[in-house]
Parts: sequence; C-alpha cells; structure tokens
Amino acid sequence: MEFSSVNTLCFHLISSAFQRCRLSEQICRLSVILNSSSSSRHPSVQISISDTGIGSCLKEFQDLKFSWGGITENWDGMLRVNTTSISDTEVYNYQISLKENRSSRRINRLPSHQKNGAKFSGTEVLLSFVESLDILLAGVHSFLQKMLILRIPNIAIQLVAEDCDVPGSRYEKVFLANKSMQSPILALNLEHLKSGFEQYILTHGNSLNSECSSCFPSWEHLKVGSGRACCTENELVMEAVIVISDISKDDNTCLRESGDKTEVLYFKDFSPSTIPQSSMKAMKSVHWRKYGLNLVGIAQQDGCALLEWENLPKDTHIYIVLHSYHQQYPTVIRTPGKKFQMDRNLVKRSIKLSLDDLKEKHAGALLSARATKICSYAPDLGKTIAGLILTSNDLEFQGECLSLLGLQSQGVEAEIVENRIKERIVSVIEMNDKKDQKTREAAPFLFDDNRLREEEFQEIDEEEDYDMMALED
Amino acid sequence: MEGKRERRSSQIELLRKIKEFTRGLVDDLRNGRSPVILIYRFRSYCTDFNSKCYCGSDLPCGKEVLTLCSESHVRRLDVMLRVLLIIRQLLQENKHSSKRDIYYMHPSVFLDQSAVDRALNDICVLMECSRHNLNVVSAGKGLVMGWIRFFEGERIFDCISSPNKAYPVPVHVEEVRDIISVAHFILVVEKESVFQRLANDQFCNASRCIVLTGRGYPDVPTRRFLRLLVDQLHIPAFCLVDCDPYGFDILTTYRFGSMQMAYDTKYLRVPELRWLGAFPSDAEKFYVPKHCLLSLTAEDKRRIEAMRLRCYLKSEVPEWRLELELMLQKGVKFEIEAFSARTLSFLSETYLPSKIQDELKVMHLIAESDRGKKSTLFVLEGRIPWEHCRLV
Repeated sequence: MEFSSVNTLCFHLISSAFQRCRLSEQICRLSVILNSSSSSRHPSVQISISDTGIGSCLKEFQDLKFSWGGITENWDGMLRVNTTSISDTEVYNYQISLKENRSSRRINRLPSHQKNGAKFSGTEVLLSFVESLDILLAGVHSFLQKMLILRIPNIAIQLVAEDCDVPGSRYEKVFLANKSMQSPILALNLEHLKSGFEQYILTHGNSLNSECSSCFPSWEHLKVGSGRACCTENELVMEAVIVISDISKDDNTCLRESGDKTEVLYFKDFSPSTIPQSSMKAMKSVHWRKYGLNLVGIAQQDGCALLEWENLPKDTHIYIVLHSYHQQYPTVIRTPGKKFQMDRNLVKRSIKLSLDDLKEKHAGALLSARATKICSYAPDLGKTIAGLILTSNDLEFQGECLSLLGLQSQGVEAEIVENRIKERIVSVIEMNDKKDQKTREAAPFLFDDNRLREEEFQEIDEEEDYDMMALED
Repeated sequence: MEGKRERRSSQIELLRKIKEFTRGLVDDLRNGRSPVILIYRFRSYCTDFNSKCYCGSDLPCGKEVLTLCSESHVRRLDVMLRVLLIIRQLLQENKHSSKRDIYYMHPSVFLDQSAVDRALNDICVLMECSRHNLNVVSAGKGLVMGWIRFFEGERIFDCISSPNKAYPVPVHVEEVRDIISVAHFILVVEKESVFQRLANDQFCNASRCIVLTGRGYPDVPTRRFLRLLVDQLHIPAFCLVDCDPYGFDILTTYRFGSMQMAYDTKYLRVPELRWLGAFPSDAEKFYVPKHCLLSLTAEDKRRIEAMRLRCYLKSEVPEWRLELELMLQKGVKFEIEAFSARTLSFLSETYLPSKIQDELKVMHLIAESDRGKKSTLFVLEGRIPWEHCRLV
C-alpha cells in the first residue's frame, strides 16, 4: 500500500488499529494522541496510535510503501511499533524505517517488556513529523467522525491533542459508536453501517449531538435500503446503504453543501477513503432508470462521488454510502486488472440490492419511470371506476362492488370510493413493477456459483454501459 | 327491423354487460391483480396472398390484452372507461350522443377524436355490439333522393313526392320502418357535387331510382341505410366514384367495410354493390378531355400498390383489381365531373344510362347463367325504358 503524505499514512495506521479492535470482538479502546511543542525550533507533532485489539502482525508494516518525492524534510520515515497478542508473554518493540525499500526493509527489534503474567493485547504505533497541530487535529477529527458511520459497536475512540508548551491547550474527544445503539455487537457490519449512516444523516454528518429536528421531525420516515455483495474467492465484500429522505426545503435552514446532489461516501477496509475509479464507473452503469432515477452527472469531489439527478422530486434527497472490505486481515491484494472489474461488479450489485431492498420495504418508493407514469393515471381510473359503480341505477350492483372494496354501501362518499380504487390500482402497479424486475433478474442467478455470477455481471455491465453512453458524452 | 322493444332489450343487455365488466375490474383490484382485458381484433382484409385467409369470415384474427403493465395500455383503458361511463349514462337515460359530443366532454384527456373512436370500437368489441347500440350516433352526413318513402320513428321521409330533392340519411337506421319504393335500382355516388348534378338534371325523373351519397368516406348511418335498402328492396345497387385511389377506397368501404370498424363489418358491408365507374378505361371510351386527366402522384401510386394487395380483390372482385392495375399502368386519374366538361348533362344523359345498361346486361347474363336457361334481355338500344329494367 503506497502513501504520498504522512497524514494519509496516519489515517491508514488509525484504520489498521480500528481493524485490530474490530477483530478482537471485545470491548476495545483506540486512542489517537497528538502532542506538539510550539516553542521548539522545528514544531513537530508526535502521534501515538494505540489500540487494545488483537496484536499486530508485522507484515502490515512490512508492506507499507511511501513515496518520498518532496516531503523528506517533514518526516524521518521512522515508525516505532509496540505490540503484543493475548497469548504473548511480553510486549515486543520494533523500529521500522519506511525510507528503506520494501525488499530490503529491516524491522529492528528493540528490547521487549515482560507482561508479568498480565493478559492483554494491543499495539501502539508512534511517529513524529513536522506539521501544524491544528491542521492535523482537524484532519484526524474529521476522519474519526466519518468512521463513526461504520458504527462498530465494541470500539471507543479517544482523540487527545495537546501543545505541551501551552497550558490548558489539551483537547479531548471520545467517539462512541454505540451511543443509542440499536444493533447488537455481533450484528453484521451492514447493520452497523445502516444504523451509523442514518445517524450521520440525521446529525448532519455527525456534526450535531442529536438528530436535527428541523430537518427530520420524524426520522422514522427515512427510507433505508441496504445490500451486500461478496466474492467468495478472495472474501472481498461490498456493502451499500441508500437512504432517501423527504425534507421540505422551503422552511429548512440547514442547507447541504452538495445541494440536491448525492454525496457518495466510500469506506475501504473500515476506513474513509477516496472513491476509486472502478466504483465511479460502476455507479455510472447502474440502471437507475429502473428505479425512476435519472442520473445526469457524476463527479469526484474531496474523495467522494457526487451524483447529479434530473427530475428528482423537490423535497427528496438521496444519500449513499459504500463500504468495501476484505473479510481477512491483513488484506490480500489481487492483481489490479481483475480487481478493478470485480470492484466494479460488486459496487453495482450492492447498489442494486440496496435499491431493491428499499423498494421492497417502502411502498411507492423507487418506482421505475414507467411505473410512475402508469401511476399518474390511477386518480383518473379511480374516479371513472367509482363513477361506473356509484352512478349505476342498480343498487344491488353498487352494494356488491363497494363490499368487494371493503366499504359500507350506505352513505359512502364518492371520494372515499375513488381513493380506495386508486390505492388498489397503485398497489397493483407497484407490485407489477417489483415483479417485472424480479422476472428480469431471475435468470442470471439460477445457479449459486461464484464464477457464473461474475460472468453474468460482465454481461450486465456491457448491456448497461450502452445506456450510459449519453452520460459519458 | 329493430323496433323500440328490441332496442330496450338490447340496452338492458348492454347495461348488464357493463356491470359485469365493472365488477370484474373491481374484483381483480381487490385481489391485487391487474385487470386483464381481452379485446378481439378484426380485420376486413389482409395482404397476405400466399396463405388462405379468413378475413371474410367475420371471425377475430387475434386479440389484444390490456393490463396495467404498460403506459399505452393504461392510457387506452383510461379513455375507454371514461367513454364507457358516458355510454352507461346515455343508456340509463335513454339518450343519444355523437362521437364529437363525447370528445368534448373530456377534450384534454382524449386529446384527439381518434382516441374516442378507438375507445368506442373497443367497447363495441368488448360488449359484442354495434356502435348504434351504445346510443352513439353521428350527426348524419349522407343524403338521399329518389323513389322512396319511409319513416324514421315518427318522422316521415317522403322523397317520392319530389324525387330530385335531397333528404338527409336517417341517423337512427334501426328505427326506419314502412319503406315504400318503386325504384329499380340504387345509385351510390361518392360526392355531394355529383349528387347535386344529378338532382339538377332531374335524374330521378328520368330513371326510377334512389340516389344516395355518403359525401366522401361514408359514415355508419349511410352504410347501414344502404345495407337496409338493399336487404329490403332486393334491387341492384351501383356505385359511382372518382377514378382515383380515394374513389376506389370509398367504393371498397361501401362494399367490404372499413378496417377501423371491421368488427361490425357484417352489418355494414354491401356485397351486392356493383362498381359502375369511373373506370380508367372510361377516359377513352367517353372522350374525357385530356386536360381533365391528372397524373398520379407518388402518394397515389403508393396507395394503389397497397390497395391492390387486399385479399378481397383477389378472391371476390378480380376484375376490380385489374382496373386498379390499369389505373397504375396509365398513370392518370380523373374525377366524375370530367364527364361534364363537354356538356353538363353528359353524366346523367349519356354516361350513366350507358353504364347502367351494361351492368344490367351483365347481371342479367349472370342471373340467366345461374338459372341455367336462356332469357331475353329487356334492355334495348338507345334510351332505356327503366320500368322494364328491374330484374327479379
């Protein structure tokens, strides 16, 4: 894994610590401590990233690659690692220089410390480099805040920052994922992601302490769908959560930066990450129109994808988060060419499953453009059929029809009959829409075979890419 | 003839069918099913020369299935149900309306008169009835004159008292009764201008006949009335149309029915109708001035090519097809009025008597051949003694 800045390397180290915590399946603490000394000639920040998760296997440090172009003065390339597993009797200490090539890189073992029979595990990584404490703190803060979306419930994250030369400058924040937790510790990651993403939306990007009541007076009204696609061959998983909210923008004081566009957050191996090109391409080729959505533009901004829609209802906003991770730790990297294709297929599949899930759970949501058009006739049809019933001079016939509709035959108002028929018509159209989609998709998955699935993905890609040609132009 | 009692009973039956249809819709929706509406398709002709067709059998040639799965179906259903609601009201209140009246009840929904026409056809097929059964009638486009008197309900059409005066064709043909006629044949003319020419020339005084025009493509009452006259009077019926693709198409509409109302063709077509003219060969035979002969346009040629493939031309009137091919071959067309270029009365005094005489000769020969015995023709050279021309 290659990094071009010390900041991104720090984020990766935090992410690794997070992974070790996650895999421990125990209550776990992750601390990020930033110390600086403003009075020194070269103000540097010392960073300590420690966790009480499973111990580190040194391979993850062995594989790190740093591109040194132009930034050699900021950092000496040294990492100090102290780690122990639950079964170890001592804490091992190492020093690694990332200035050395990966092939010739040596890990210097330093004197260990005895655990004296204590049973614990954990890792601490230390590094020091020239950077403004404020800038680094802001970056790490934003990074950890995004990590809360994953809502891994057994991890508490502590962020401490202090300028040793400024009394009272200590800053401390605890990021607790399990606040008002709805899903148990051992629930699937996807369930945690769903819950965390909802919270993220309701608190305007986790910037509020509680749900924004002006935007979401009743947050149960969020429509949420999730999907998980995986490749069993390399245990690569892609999870997607899609949320649709209907917020009246007229009296809403909380304006989103992205406006009506959808910001797609991307996580890679439990860490906020820049969305890769493969995922961007995959999102382009999703058959959004099947769900009544018309994607007219896609761009990358600050590591996220921004999707631009056409004809989205005025008060509707769509949120998407993707999380790609390997079930194994540390990760196994496959050959890039095939990985690109696989990522793309997994993104498409997971988004599709999320859309289907949302559609299944919420009546009337994500109707295809075709079904929406058909539904527009429902009020007219309801009125006419009600007319055929209510203006008949055969009272027995009237009573029979009203009874079929579950209505009282005595003194029922025309509007009630019209609405009842309209509802039934809409319900039939929605059902047909779901059925149509299922019928179309049934064939590719007759066999639960990974190889076959991927081949099908390929075919669908080619077919749907054609639809997106206009978008690419 | 369908009297008032029959009409009432047909209305009751239709109302019953509409209720049954509505109940079916509601029942489907209650059960979460999309209503499936089967509409049989009919055609008055096909263009498949290679296989034996059943176009003349009045049987459906397929069916359309309307569901809530397609926007075009739902739109069609929306229009159809709206029209059905209006029709149900007409039937319940025993009132009549025109297609145009119906269109103006929801013009923004129907968008076009053709949507209403299609809905009416769909309803007729679904309810297995004719358009007049729905109490939908047209304003009446056709004209009639000649040796006939009849009642439409309580209204008398006493054409016989002044045979060269135009009367409108009755709209409620099912109410026509007490037909009295001393006519020897019926002459159907394509255009009102020709009808007026014959009226001016006192053609019905000279020839004991009934003259009828649908003023272009005939409407339903004109076709039904012609059918009624042919059925009731058992006299020959001839048709005079322009020698162009439109004239020929109008001729086939009278004789074989239109594609649009193919489901009802058995009540509208007049198989006994004979094409009197104008044939392409008439231009030379009757010295039509050259300046009256117009070249066929590309569109004319395309229409002729399409028409000559119609199955009924091959199976029932191959001689018509030959004339059509001749028209294409000559590449010219002309209107009936071209016969009046030399003298105004040429049409009524020369052309028509000559053509009718020829037709009667042919008919007589056919009748004789059918009887298997010889017969003497009553038709003489020169001016025709019409009173002797009736062949029964």
